[in-house]
Amino acid sequence: MSNQNELNMDMIETLGPEFTVFVGLLLIMIVPNLGNGTFRVPGTSIRLPWFLGGTRYKVVASPRLPGLLAVLTMAVALIQVIWYLCDSSAADGKVISSENGIEIFKVNMFSRIFEAIFFAALLLAAIASLDRLPTGSQKSDDIDVLFNNRRQADFYILMLTSALGMSVVALAQDMFVLFVGLELASFSTYVLVAFHKETRAGSEGGAKYFIVGSVASAVGLYGLSMLYLWAGSLQFDVLAAKWAADGATSLSMMALGFVLVGFAFKISAVPFHFAAPDAYSGANSPVAGVLATASKAMGMLGLMRVLLIITIPDSTADGSAVWIGLLGVLAAVTMTWGNIAALGSENPKRMLAYSSVAHAGYMLAALTAIGAWNWGLVDNAGDAMDVVVAALLFHMFVLVFFKLGAFLVLGVLEMEGGASRLSSLAGLGKREPLLAVAMFLFMISLAGVPPMAGFLSKLLVIMGIVEVATGTGSLSSIADAHWVWWLALLMVINSAISMFYYLRVGVVMYFHEPEEGRQGPLASGASIRIAIALCAIGTVAFGLVGGELIDMCRDAAESLR
Amino acid sequence: MGGTSETISSTFIEYAIFIVLLPMLAFPIILFLGHIFNGNQTWVKSAKEGGLIALPIMVASFVLSMLLISEFIGKGTGAHHIGDWLSFGWMSADGMTINEKVFGVGIYIDHVTVMLLFVASFLCMLINIFSIGYMNTDPVNDNRNHRFYAEFVLFCSGMLGMVLADSFLWLFIFWELMGLCSYLLIGFYYEKPSAAYAAKKAFLTTRVGDVFLVIGLVMLWNLFDSLDYAVVFNEDLIAQVDPGQLQLALGMMFIGAVGKSAQFPLHVWLPDAMEGPTPVSALIHAATMVNAGLYLVARMFPFFGAPSMAGELVDLAFIIAAIGGITAVMAAAIAFVQDDLKKVLAYSTMSQLAYIFTGLGAALWLANTPGMEKYAIVAFGAALFHLFNHAMAKGMLFMASGSVIHEMHHAHHDLHHHDDHGDDHHDDHHDDHFDAQSMENMGGLASKMPITATAMLVGSASIMGLPLIGGFWSKEGIIANAWRVAREEPLFLFPAFCVLLGAAMTGFYMSRMWLKTFAGKPKTEVAANVHENTPWIPIPLVTLTFVSLSSVILAGMMFTHWSSDSSYAFFSEKGLIDGLIYEFEHIFLNSDAFFFVLTYFVIFIGAIVGPGLAMALYGGSLKDGEKSKPWMQPIINLSSRVNAKRGFDNSAWANSGLSDALKERLYFDKWYDAAMLKLVAGFANISAAFDKNVVDGTIKTIESTSQKLSTQVRRLTTGSARDYIMMAALGVLVIYLMLEVMI
Repeated sequence: MSNQNELNMDMIETLGPEFTVFVGLLLIMIVPNLGNGTFRVPGTSIRLPWFLGGTRYKVVASPRLPGLLAVLTMAVALIQVIWYLCDSSAADGKVISSENGIEIFKVNMFSRIFEAIFFAALLLAAIASLDRLPTGSQKSDDIDVLFNNRRQADFYILMLTSALGMSVVALAQDMFVLFVGLELASFSTYVLVAFHKETRAGSEGGAKYFIVGSVASAVGLYGLSMLYLWAGSLQFDVLAAKWAADGATSLSMMALGFVLVGFAFKISAVPFHFAAPDAYSGANSPVAGVLATASKAMGMLGLMRVLLIITIPDSTADGSAVWIGLLGVLAAVTMTWGNIAALGSENPKRMLAYSSVAHAGYMLAALTAIGAWNWGLVDNAGDAMDVVVAALLFHMFVLVFFKLGAFLVLGVLEMEGGASRLSSLAGLGKREPLLAVAMFLFMISLAGVPPMAGFLSKLLVIMGIVEVATGTGSLSSIADAHWVWWLALLMVINSAISMFYYLRVGVVMYFHEPEEGRQGPLASGASIRIAIALCAIGTVAFGLVGGELIDMCRDAAESLR
Repeated sequence: MGGTSETISSTFIEYAIFIVLLPMLAFPIILFLGHIFNGNQTWVKSAKEGGLIALPIMVASFVLSMLLISEFIGKGTGAHHIGDWLSFGWMSADGMTINEKVFGVGIYIDHVTVMLLFVASFLCMLINIFSIGYMNTDPVNDNRNHRFYAEFVLFCSGMLGMVLADSFLWLFIFWELMGLCSYLLIGFYYEKPSAAYAAKKAFLTTRVGDVFLVIGLVMLWNLFDSLDYAVVFNEDLIAQVDPGQLQLALGMMFIGAVGKSAQFPLHVWLPDAMEGPTPVSALIHAATMVNAGLYLVARMFPFFGAPSMAGELVDLAFIIAAIGGITAVMAAAIAFVQDDLKKVLAYSTMSQLAYIFTGLGAALWLANTPGMEKYAIVAFGAALFHLFNHAMAKGMLFMASGSVIHEMHHAHHDLHHHDDHGDDHHDDHHDDHFDAQSMENMGGLASKMPITATAMLVGSASIMGLPLIGGFWSKEGIIANAWRVAREEPLFLFPAFCVLLGAAMTGFYMSRMWLKTFAGKPKTEVAANVHENTPWIPIPLVTLTFVSLSSVILAGMMFTHWSSDSSYAFFSEKGLIDGLIYEFEHIFLNSDAFFFVLTYFVIFIGAIVGPGLAMALYGGSLKDGEKSKPWMQPIINLSSRVNAKRGFDNSAWANSGLSDALKERLYFDKWYDAAMLKLVAGFANISAAFDKNVVDGTIKTIESTSQKLSTQVRRLTTGSARDYIMMAALGVLVIYLMLEVMI
């Protein structure tokens, strides 16, 4: 344990990325306000320059400055996280506690890999937003409003705040701290969704997302209070010990259920997903991409903390976790619902939203399988659990590239005047061959076609589930396998269904003629294209050479236990 | 991957891969540069639309090839393993060991490689030079010649790669690369329906052969667990293989060769392939594509020579020879009646390739028959020598024909577009259907295009086998060896008679072609006004003329021996003069009475009967007051005299059913079309109906049902936050109940 009282160097070293984000946040708040403002010493006529306010310097008044600062901040933070991930011995398991010995933060591979996911998604979104908001070629007034330094600063402040909130969630060792981080991140995203307030879709989507989100948070908070009532603490280790001792009581189960609701909204599991399509289609594409990747990973992280750390010690008669049935149903319903709803969706952003609901279902299926980690046939339970957790982490990591990338391609289209209909993509293959290729890569990766990263991640998840369900090969027939096996089958069937709407994008891009008035190449937007290129590279590269990352996820999974 | 049979240690072989890589890398460069500078005058003028980028590449490839050849010629085989390309493993049946297979990348060089490498790289370079003269001013294809050069270099890299590959797998890959390029180049004028059709036909016909080639390769893989030459040519491994299965595998591969080399019955694509630009014809017929089939069969030689296979593979050898015999006569007969200059050459290619197949068949038979192995080397060498002679002569003939066509085009263009104010005496040609390729429009060009006429004369003589020139040496060898086999094995009398008959027919149709084009009086106004005017075209023509004429020196250098025997060091046993004396003795004063008579009989029918008949029918003197070069004038005069005194009338057979059948190419295309329509189209219709009704029907039902379901599901997303909260509340209730049940 480190010395809790002072902000010493050790702590800065341990929480390096978080400090970077914090400093970046302060800079974005202060730097755009620098000017030749002066301060009059009271009672005299002496004016001292104090550099805030007044006429702003030209450099700091640039609308691009906040974005650049944010990109820089996120890049540095991401590099720090990756540095840490590659050098796992540095501060593994370092704990930061409060004065009375309550563990607040714990830094290990598991939390760091989540931070990598968050920061990567936010970095890509920030890069993409550099052009996304202030496009010079836009003529409509509501976009001109955005071409404004103050507004830009607001946008990136919110982005960095959500980054900070997410990293708090990743590090938290206490349900209450986790909740605070979650809300910090959530509130930022609520505002980000509605940031485009001049449009009806933006403000409406943001409002709905906020209302439903606050209800879910309220339910979750209620669950937390019941947990506190039950255990007298919200510390993970205290809760886990209590759970191991008392097991599931009526109170604890009710608390667990309510807490689940809070996180289920974040990952947009059915039936808490309803606001998601509205929010995604109302928000800026980069923001929607962040919702579908980083925000979802944050919800998943919360679920993993609750389900795998606090409640896993308990086991039912056959050695499965107590919540396994519930989660299995949730997973099955979520993935099927998402895919079926996406099938007929004519709005590509809503289609991606439903597709992200389906992906939440896949992740829940993996979690369900972990719930069966201790049942009879599994020889080396810990190993099986690590495999699935690693698969899940890998899935969430690579999802950043192709899900966010798909949203960014829509973002480029939005710069032209909207991407709310599938036909907006028509003829993209001719108009923008490279962009169309990237979009197609993202689509087939989402569908899980080799050799894309999406294939590898889906394969790992399915293999992990099957491995847990069947044990290590001593099975005589499928009927003897654990029922989570059926979730793997359902995933395969769902993937087949999803192929339809993912590939339809390809059909529209390559075989349909462009809409009236949407001919020729799109507005340039160099930075959003760079972000798309990064996403495309990640999508292909992690599919071909994902070995290193999988090993890293494996280490992270081990550090969870 | 087993030991490579490294017999000489070498340094240069390590760089041999660049022979293939240079043109392959030039492909995208030319393509993209051409795309960028399309229509730009600088690009068109200074780089000849990519021709001047391709040329140094091909020269470099040729120089590298020559370095490699000079190192390996007469010195045995060499192999260089560059690296592993694909490796995969699987668990064996008992679950104990893992089988691992690796496909490598490497270079394999022996006498066959050396010969074909020279042919391919040398001719590709010359054809490139020719193309610069020919393509640049072709009126049809403004602004897209860069595509021609890009595909050209890719084609060349395909052939060079196939020749240098060290396994049947890579051979097949480059083989298919050539297939692709031939499709693209034959269809270069894709806006012409006939060109698009021809490209499709060439592609699909060779595809039929390729299917069998793949089957053969898979069978070979099954037998050897490898396709590397180093493994499959190992005599110890061949000894463990069932001869029947090996014969079947090789037979399948031979069908692939039949398709690629346009032999009966897969020959129908070659004449239509003339739709491509003339340099492409030269490329396909001389330097690359058709030689691939011959190369594949030549590569089978070690199987036939393996002691364990003695006497087991003679059936296949006979089939190869017989297919050659049939094609030789059939193609020559069709060539009798063709009026299109390039089509005559196309059928001549087919016929000459058939000779080589017969020669290879005889060589394989000899190699496979105990006691005859010593003759196999000579027969094999004769076949390869004929490949060499034919490639040089045919490359030259096509370029010469291209020169004629090019100048005919120009003359036609000048007459009708720059001369419109002149008198109207050429009204009868003043249509856009003027056929610059038809010999009916030519005649008397010998005095106007001396270089072209000379090249054409030497090339024709080489193909006909006039004594001492080019193909004479190799054709004598092929015929003699076919008869040598026929004396042992009566079945071989069939191909042996075929090649004998073919020799006379070759003499006729090649003479006919030359006489109709260059002798006599100009048949049209256009033909009277042609003249040679670009410097790029004569360079390759003159070069190849000398190569064909110097074939006698190659013969003296015992080409037939060292081209078939790695260990034969030329010059080490005999000097050039001794070699020449040996060859002359061997050919003209053979101690065996049978071969002695055979030689003179072949010379008689090939060099006297055939040309004599052609002179009688098509000979004639030039226009009054015009003279050709002194070496051609006697021939023209002779033809005119023979024609004047001709004692027979050919109108009877010119109007006969056989003549019509030949003009219709013996109805092969019609039969194939009919078979396609009845069988394939019928089957396709049934499949289409099944696909439309059953497969699509099922899918459409699933799709429409799920779309309806999707609409219902999405209807729950009402858009009202109140409803969302209600749904969430329901969800909370369900979760609570489920958890309560679980306690």
